[in-house]
Amino acid sequence: MALAQQPDTTRHQLRTVEVFGKPAEVYAAGSRVVQLDSSYLSTYASGSLAEALMARTPIYFKSYGVSGISTVAFRGTNASQTAVLWNGLNISSPTLGLTDFSTLPLSSFGDVSVQYGPAGATHGSGAIGGAVLLNSPKYNRRGFGAEIQAEAGSFGRYAGSGSIKYGKGKLQAVTGLYYKQAANNFKYKDLTGFRKPEVRQKNAAVEQYGLTQDFNWQVSENTKLALHSWYTFADREVQPAMGSASNNDQQKDENLRLMAALEHNSRWGQTAVKAAYFNDYLHYNKTGAVSEADVNTYQVLAEQSYTYSNRWSLRGGVNLQHFSAANDGYAGTASDNRASVFALLRYDPTSALKLSLNLRQAFVEGYNPKPTPALGFNWKFYNDNKNQLSIKGNMSGSYRVPTLNDRFWLGAGNPDLKPEQGWSYESGLHHLLILGNTLLLETELTGYYMLVDDWIQWMPDGSGPWRPVNLLKVNAKGIEASTKATATVGKTKIGATLGYTYTSSEQAEVYEGSGDKGKQLMYVPRHKAVLGADASCKGWTLLGNLNYTGLRYTSNSESTYLNSFILLDVALSKRLQLHKHALVLTLKSDNVTNAEYQTMAYHAMPPRGYTFSLRFIIP
Amino acid sequence: MKALHKFRSMLVAASLLVSVLAFSSCDDKNDGPSGVYAEDGVFVVNEGNFGRPTSSVTYYNKSSQQVQHNIFEKENQDRPLGDVAQSMTILGDRAFIVVNNSNKIEVVNANTFKSEAVVEGLDAPRYFVALNDNKGYVTEWFAPNPDWSYRTGRVSVIDLNTYTVLKTIEVGKQPEQLLIAGGKLYVTNLGGNTVTVINTATDAIEKEIDVTFGPNSLVLDKNNALWVLSTGFKDWQAAASTYTAGALTKVNVSTNTVTSTYPFPEVAANASKLLQNGAKDILYYIYDGKVYQQATSASTLSHTQLINRSFYGLGVDPETGYIYGGDHNGFAGDGTVQVYKPDGTKVHEFKAGIGPSGFVFN
Repeated sequence: MALAQQPDTTRHQLRTVEVFGKPAEVYAAGSRVVQLDSSYLSTYASGSLAEALMARTPIYFKSYGVSGISTVAFRGTNASQTAVLWNGLNISSPTLGLTDFSTLPLSSFGDVSVQYGPAGATHGSGAIGGAVLLNSPKYNRRGFGAEIQAEAGSFGRYAGSGSIKYGKGKLQAVTGLYYKQAANNFKYKDLTGFRKPEVRQKNAAVEQYGLTQDFNWQVSENTKLALHSWYTFADREVQPAMGSASNNDQQKDENLRLMAALEHNSRWGQTAVKAAYFNDYLHYNKTGAVSEADVNTYQVLAEQSYTYSNRWSLRGGVNLQHFSAANDGYAGTASDNRASVFALLRYDPTSALKLSLNLRQAFVEGYNPKPTPALGFNWKFYNDNKNQLSIKGNMSGSYRVPTLNDRFWLGAGNPDLKPEQGWSYESGLHHLLILGNTLLLETELTGYYMLVDDWIQWMPDGSGPWRPVNLLKVNAKGIEASTKATATVGKTKIGATLGYTYTSSEQAEVYEGSGDKGKQLMYVPRHKAVLGADASCKGWTLLGNLNYTGLRYTSNSESTYLNSFILLDVALSKRLQLHKHALVLTLKSDNVTNAEYQTMAYHAMPPRGYTFSLRFIIP
Repeated sequence: MKALHKFRSMLVAASLLVSVLAFSSCDDKNDGPSGVYAEDGVFVVNEGNFGRPTSSVTYYNKSSQQVQHNIFEKENQDRPLGDVAQSMTILGDRAFIVVNNSNKIEVVNANTFKSEAVVEGLDAPRYFVALNDNKGYVTEWFAPNPDWSYRTGRVSVIDLNTYTVLKTIEVGKQPEQLLIAGGKLYVTNLGGNTVTVINTATDAIEKEIDVTFGPNSLVLDKNNALWVLSTGFKDWQAAASTYTAGALTKVNVSTNTVTSTYPFPEVAANASKLLQNGAKDILYYIYDGKVYQQATSASTLSHTQLINRSFYGLGVDPETGYIYGGDHNGFAGDGTVQVYKPDGTKVHEFKAGIGPSGFVFN
């Protein structure tokens, strides 16, 4: 038994101690990075990234119903203040400045992690509240392997996905496909009707499909080349708010993301160059009126890292971005060039003390973002054969340049608009308890304080048209506590995560109009807690998620609010071994207690639903 | 799927219509003039966020300075008012609240704010006016075209006993505020340069009066002269070089001809929210992001700036001449109402709902 458990523990330990090589963590000592469980990812593969993060992390998502856009709020900031990186490059829409997490299917990623706060100053514009890091799967196999999954569920939900992997010598190739459709015709209580009648949801159907393709080629002993491509398509009926007449809206999204990454090791260290092309197409039909945006993004990221005696690591780099956007809200095509240079230093004076220092300077046409430095430490001050106790801290600057819409929207362009500036301080304790191979308990407690100045918000100006203004200075502070246990009892493996966040985010200054100083920002729950647990034994796995989301105000005045809610999801699966192959049968129930809840005011969310899925694995 | 949706929504509309009829037939109008909101009140219409039923009505008692929020929801079993409350009009004991993006008019008792009926089946309704207890008119824009332009809008004639649409009259693009004078209905067509004149006896169009582009509001002064405020051509998709200046236009309602036009000096400046005082001899409006006043007796544009800021909503108390301005607070939080003396000095302020856009004085 002991031997069988060894790899898990090691992997876990490695992850915790921030091994050199994980870009998000190496140069961001003292920051908080949480990775989504792989067991969760495989059980909920047909879900969206929004659903996964909502269930497994204490991050709040604002979903415009079940089919509408779903945006994130990290540490009391807003959606455009979150960076979303795919293999290290930012994929947030340059027009809106945010990412719709409901269009990102979980099946497209190898791993998903979440970096809280702006500690990873290398992430560039938008990483004020935090960053979501998505990475393509990595394999090292010989011969063919495949997986195929089919799923059917309540409210007309059907999904299928499959992947084929091939490895031979120095070449690894993976192709993945997915398809999902959902009628989302569930019944809900219409709060706007006379006597709140039960009605069936209309105009909420979705169809999504996509393709991922990853090649990894070990060109020579010191040189690696990777090609990643990712295409997603989503055609959605936009679920209307209860009682709203905008009930025929439709949205189509098409995103193509291509990337080539070259890595070369020499005596000068590691050279990494990534070049990418993204095309983001959005077609919105608002009861007749059509909005279209077609954006081409070209990015290059070049880095040189040099590591000396496992104590010093220095990385310098440059990131270039060119955006070219055709949007019917602009006068013709708008383009924008951005560049940034960075120098990152990691120094471990002793094996117990890790220090990092980052400097980053961005250059944006028409703007002068301030430099964004970051300083972090992680000191393991106590270590016996069972316990490891560390204290950590990080302070960092961050920025967000105005989006293309902020700058180029007809009649709204505000030449005086400044980039948003963030400044964040965090500190925490980290405890690791290892009881042989039977229990691994990792506990973390973090407190943070953050100021975001020149917060951009659109509002009507004196004569009517809406324009973006640097409206607010926001002060966010909070506590994040999490504990994660992995235990083995007899033949049963048990995993559990518990997370809680307290978030206070309020207006410290208002530069125009009356504002709502000192009040909690809308859609930022003060309290959110998640409990996730799984147990597996003899091929059976039982997985459960409990999510508590506290009261959220629906305006900045604290005058209207959504009640707190508790959601419970449960999944049971059985793995059957058929010779070399495996068949996994899973029965899931979402919202088991049939809770009535909304994450965005007046947008109904689904009641209890069931899903059955089959997964066939050719290893 | 589309056809099915259409069928379904027709079914819903039909069933709602039936319930409206059922409601209106059994309501009694013997409430009398007493009620929580009967006296000395100012109703603040809060537009709310577009796409969500977050509009509301705030009641402000002038004598006690007490404020009550969300009175519609409070008096109607927590039922929200709807998506974008555009305007409110009082007729006797009834108040008509036009809810633009819910395609309806909520009819409530003006003294108790209890729901009396709902007029359904409208299409992007904007403003309402009543001829008498039996007949009213509402302007409707329709949804925009794919390129965000508008087709011709309409005026629907409403039976105020059954709360059903009796007739529709095609007018100009984006019909906005409307007014009845001498048995004629005057409709400003914001998306064009005309005021449509409709005979209220026949509900047929009599004339189109040419005015400056973009008429949006109108008042009838003490001498029965009709004043129309136009904002000029300011299409957000068009080049600024094609913009035209707004103007105040004076119309003779016996001949339905333009008496005089006072163009505004700044071509790029918008003009909106034409109002007048109780004596009907001073005009108020928002021009170039500020509140201006102009005497109806003036024979040139001699307007003076009264308040050096803009408001999302503007109101003039006919009794006291006090000016009410609604600050939208970015539509992210509750707006504020600022109250000014007739000479422009601020006297008071109170919180309202999201996007205070109109004031109705009871």
